[in-house]
Amino acid sequence: MNKFKLTRRGVLRGMMAGGACTVGLPLLDCLLDGNGLAYADGSPIPPRLVTWFWGLGIGEGAWIPKTSGKDYELPRQFKMLQPLKHKFNLFSGGQVFLEGGSNTTHFTGVQGLMTGKVSSAASDYTRSLDTIIGDHISGSTRFRSIEIACDGNPTACWSARETGRQPAEVSPVALYARLFGAEFKDPNAAEFTPDPAIVMRRSVLSAVSEQRLRIMKSVPADDKARLDSYFTSLRALEQRLEIQMKKPEPLEACTVPSAPQGDEAEPSTLAVDAMARHELFGELVAHALACGQTRVVNMCITQGMSGLRREGDPTSHHTYTHEEPIDPQLGYQVNCAWFQDLYLNALLQFATKLDSIKEGDQTLLDRIVLFAYTDHGAPRLHSVLDYPVLIFGNGGGRFKTGLHIAGRGDPVTRVGFTLQQAMGVPAGDWGSGANRVTAPYLEAMV
Amino acid sequence: MKFILMRAAITCLCLSWAWCLSVVTAMAAPDAQASTTWIKLTTKQYQQSIRDIFGSSIVVTGRFEPDHRDQGLLAVGASRAGVSDAGLEMYDGLARNISGQIVSERNRTTLIPCSPKKTNVSDDACAKRVIADAGRLLFRRALTKDEVQLQVDIARNVTKATGDFYDGLAAALSNLLISPDFLFRFQRLEADRSHPGKYRLDGYSKAANLSFFLWNSTPDDQLLAAAERGELHTAAGLQRQVDRLLSSPNLETGVRAFFLDMLGFDKFETLSKDANFFPRFTVKVKEEAQEQTLRTIVDHLLVRQGDYRELLTTPQTFLTASLAALYGLPLADLTDNGQPDRWYPYRYADDDPRVGLLAQASFVALHSPSGRTSPTDRGKALREVLLCQTVPPPPANVEFQSLEDISNPKFKTTRDRLTAHRSDAVCAGCHRITDPIGLALENFDSSGGFRTTENGAAIDTSGDIRGKKFDKPRELYTVLSTEPSLTSCVAKRAYGFGTGRMPPEKDEHWAAILERFKSSNYNMVALLEAIATSDLFYSPPEKLLQAAASKE
Amino acid sequence: MRRVAHLNTASGHRVRNLDMRMVVSITAIAIANGLLIQPAVAAETRGYVINWFATATHSTANKENCPEDRNGGQAEFQIRNLMAVGFTKEEATAKVFAKGGQEVALEDKALSERIRMRGRSKGKPASIYNYPDTVEDPNLETVTGKYAYGFDLGGKPENKFIDIDTGRKIDNQLWRAVGCTFSFNAVPPARPYPEDLGWEAMLNSSPAWLIRVSGEDLNRNGKVTVILDRATRHPRRDALSNVMSGATYVIEPDSRSHNVLQGEIRDGVLTVFPGDIYLEAELPFYTEISLRKGQMRLKLERDGRLVGYMGGIQDWRRWVYSFTARPNNNADTIGIFHALRKMADFDPDPVTGENRAISATYRMEAVPAYLVEENGAVVANAVTTLGPASSVAPGGQPRSESIASLKTDD
Repeated sequence: MNKFKLTRRGVLRGMMAGGACTVGLPLLDCLLDGNGLAYADGSPIPPRLVTWFWGLGIGEGAWIPKTSGKDYELPRQFKMLQPLKHKFNLFSGGQVFLEGGSNTTHFTGVQGLMTGKVSSAASDYTRSLDTIIGDHISGSTRFRSIEIACDGNPTACWSARETGRQPAEVSPVALYARLFGAEFKDPNAAEFTPDPAIVMRRSVLSAVSEQRLRIMKSVPADDKARLDSYFTSLRALEQRLEIQMKKPEPLEACTVPSAPQGDEAEPSTLAVDAMARHELFGELVAHALACGQTRVVNMCITQGMSGLRREGDPTSHHTYTHEEPIDPQLGYQVNCAWFQDLYLNALLQFATKLDSIKEGDQTLLDRIVLFAYTDHGAPRLHSVLDYPVLIFGNGGGRFKTGLHIAGRGDPVTRVGFTLQQAMGVPAGDWGSGANRVTAPYLEAMV
Repeated sequence: MKFILMRAAITCLCLSWAWCLSVVTAMAAPDAQASTTWIKLTTKQYQQSIRDIFGSSIVVTGRFEPDHRDQGLLAVGASRAGVSDAGLEMYDGLARNISGQIVSERNRTTLIPCSPKKTNVSDDACAKRVIADAGRLLFRRALTKDEVQLQVDIARNVTKATGDFYDGLAAALSNLLISPDFLFRFQRLEADRSHPGKYRLDGYSKAANLSFFLWNSTPDDQLLAAAERGELHTAAGLQRQVDRLLSSPNLETGVRAFFLDMLGFDKFETLSKDANFFPRFTVKVKEEAQEQTLRTIVDHLLVRQGDYRELLTTPQTFLTASLAALYGLPLADLTDNGQPDRWYPYRYADDDPRVGLLAQASFVALHSPSGRTSPTDRGKALREVLLCQTVPPPPANVEFQSLEDISNPKFKTTRDRLTAHRSDAVCAGCHRITDPIGLALENFDSSGGFRTTENGAAIDTSGDIRGKKFDKPRELYTVLSTEPSLTSCVAKRAYGFGTGRMPPEKDEHWAAILERFKSSNYNMVALLEAIATSDLFYSPPEKLLQAAASKE
Repeated sequence: MRRVAHLNTASGHRVRNLDMRMVVSITAIAIANGLLIQPAVAAETRGYVINWFATATHSTANKENCPEDRNGGQAEFQIRNLMAVGFTKEEATAKVFAKGGQEVALEDKALSERIRMRGRSKGKPASIYNYPDTVEDPNLETVTGKYAYGFDLGGKPENKFIDIDTGRKIDNQLWRAVGCTFSFNAVPPARPYPEDLGWEAMLNSSPAWLIRVSGEDLNRNGKVTVILDRATRHPRRDALSNVMSGATYVIEPDSRSHNVLQGEIRDGVLTVFPGDIYLEAELPFYTEISLRKGQMRLKLERDGRLVGYMGGIQDWRRWVYSFTARPNNNADTIGIFHALRKMADFDPDPVTGENRAISATYRMEAVPAYLVEENGAVVANAVTTLGPASSVAPGGQPRSESIASLKTDD
């Protein structure tokens, strides 16, 4: 039997080429209206979110672009992303406020960034950014979200609900089975039963809308239009509920791929293995999103304390961050920079893949939001200052892109809050204590 | 002479003097009588109403559609606001969240006055009682029989479907919370029995206007009862309620809400400073700066019953350790290690440049760009916020070079740069009037920190307003505190805060209100009382009267 | 109403009565713009809070300091640990490689115990971190270079370094002991890794260390009195998470950390003459900084900071406790223990003859702070530049021009 081992890129490519990945992409244009922004029946394509984590920051030295706004120059550290510069925003200068607590390295910072609060207890890590948004956008998809770790560590993922952090899928083969295995149902054949709670909400609301005539009668002509805006909006809400009560549009583009042969992935600390796995996961994620299986995906290319290393070198990325001196000429840790480049290259490839998939007159990358974040600012000190955060895609017209947005000491939660607002999460603030924010980066929002 | 308004912002304004005048004249026309048939609750009013009706165990979490500012107030903007799709979705989310909290096992025993015979079947009597009681406070009027019955039916149907009485009750409460009768304050007319052929606002509308004016919240049971008994239509009855509201601790809530709106503190949400330049301007300081000002105001106007004009010169304020560091002052915080900072009363020397509201970060930092100061912005803000003047926007195609060239060694201070900028004759007219106020506040950097030099050069804070000369910030405050528009402005804004519209400029009732304010030595409580007991405050909007007349 | 509650906080009154003359004098200084062109004024006291503290490293000269380069990093010291419990070098290397150099015994509790319990006490197995002297010295390479930072503490000629700033012969055996270990490889503003973690934690939780400098005129050369104290609260952070300049600290009354020292200011450098220094601290930093012949050399920076060194003679076992108390913090605890023991250069034990103390120097920085007593009396001023005034170039980094580089008139 051709035993499948997830250790080398070539093998993986072979597996995928063997017919496993014949999911037709993307949504058929015929299902979409003229400009591809909505289904044919007029309901908008839902926003989707991918979070993408890499460990250990972006390196010492001046990576913050000198200017903010549109015409900024990508610094050395991000130069490789130049081909997609117009499709992402670079957020700099955000920090996590420790509020008198200590910086539990590889934890406190991400906790602040992803949950809006800091606390030294791991059990306090609940309800991360992606689940807050996911609960708002995930609708009736098969998977509320998909968690993925590329370095073989199932605890590497930062997505959390009230019950704590969610375990991550470490094997592309297993994920493939989960997404497109026995339980996968062709959306064209799926049976549909309306959610009784939605039906009830719809009927309850009608009691409010029925008051329209009574109230409008007493309002002077000038103010009728103004008051009518309330009832128009109420009607829109009723319509959204009605859409959820109907069978969804078919996704004829999705076909059921054949199951691959192989084993579960072995843990590996080799960086090339993780990158190869990431590429494979990326492929599956693209299909899952385009086929409406989920609207939220959380990918972690490493754990925070990245144990990835080069072949023949015992020293992991994490160990290098502590032990490697900063090169006085270059101003950064040379070995650490190698890893950072590797991760960002993977990000670039993933984003490029999403960008190659057409949805209407845009691409899948345009339609989703890809939120890339890390656990520390300056890696050597494991600081919680100057976080780099990247947001690719415009979420189907929810974000402006191509901008450098300088936070200059803002709580980094402001980026996550901006994301929530852009994705329509109804919250007036996010975070607690000094990490609480109430204002999004309006310049990034449409 | 009427104050001439000007435009500023370091982004220059090159306007000719004549142009400036013409614009001001045009804008100084009396405010058209705004018609208000209903006023949307502002975010703060929604939150305060829920807190006052259901208690502090109910937490209002969720986003609101942003309020809009009009005539200097969000409260006036609210009388012109509609509801967007997104806004309604937010109200819907809030309504379901709040009703869920009310019927939750934790809260139902204290908040729901009756319990069903069985929790898995409907109980119309109990549902009716809850809906009628809560509905009266939420709608600020008694519900009609039909209205109550409609919600009782909903509660019964939902309970039937889910098998839980509290699900049904939550659905009904949620409907009340998303209803226009809660979200909007309707101004209802009724025939004025004492003046046949005329109309007046009904008692409920009067009660709501009074309560939102003084408490920024929904009328309490006593006020609604007074309205139901018709007492608000009699001078004595009204005075009783006004006295009661003014002597309540809730007055502080109302006064805070008013100044929060008038001083534009909603802008703090988007305010940020470059932390490299202003490391003391932390997130905490940003919040504390607002609180400092509100505490100073409450202390001066309510506790000490001080003269409103003296807010600009009062040496008395409140500080935290972080604020003290921002202002360059020592302040012993005796709190234990690890405990949150405390507020301390603080008194400046009378001639300290940091006395009064204008020197507080909530003014000088709020009206500055993130990296450096803009005397023009500050001058403009002062005139618009505190003196109710309007400043026209700057024209396009302006030469900014001298303003932005901060590396030019010839121009060390902002005054130097503005002076160079004013050498352009077109710019000079307006800037001459705008900038002196801002330049006198140059001792405060963009974050509100105190300084006496800029790029190594001493800061010159002298200037004059209409011939009144001043040398330093403290003298500027004195000059400004004698401006007649300072006191008329706060009166107008207070009236606007309560009614959602500006007062008529030439009106005997309005003149009487101003006179009462003056004769009280500009006592804020006296002003509030004068407005709250004035016929003008309760006069129905003109358009409403016209609509009523046309129906006849 | 709320105000009643405020007035109950009586201390505010004291401060506000006392602060006015301080404000006036600060204003005067700021108007003159600069620390040098002040006319002679009455005696003044300036306050500071220590915002940066760590072993004084000289890591830019690693090749000269550690020519053998044989200590390795975490991977190597783990390999040494594994070999000490019976693995061959090949096995140990493979094990560590497989973990990417991370801690191998983290999940393997049994292995972790074997490594830990290979010490001896009264003939029984004991933790090597409690009895580090009962396990073999891994014989770390120690610094053999010529230069370091420090003070002349009267040590032996063969141990002398040359101070990089002053060119004087100095003693700093602490640096000699740890300077070739990876975890102490740091160029300021970076701190050695174990100290960095400890200091950052301490800033968030432990009461601040304070400095008071008093003299006739601190803008001129002359004698000064320097008082070190501990505050009642931990340092206040600013928007960049640095320790805030210009904040107020209450001096801890009856503090064990109260030190009165004499010194002088000459050409912009504050020198503190030898005396005992004791500063209480907390783990995970050191439990204390306790120096005999303690002395300091600090430059008065233009932005109001003090930057320089504090050195003296300290108990080496108490120092190394910070490492044995929380082992495996990316540092070769056992190796460092033995290195310190060998390099110790003062205070021989009358019985064993082994030195009990070691010469040491720390690099430190302090930012201006107001210091007040518990009763509210302001005893030291923060002399600082507030906001983006003369100390900061527009759009650039704060200038850290030392006033030592400027001319003074004596």
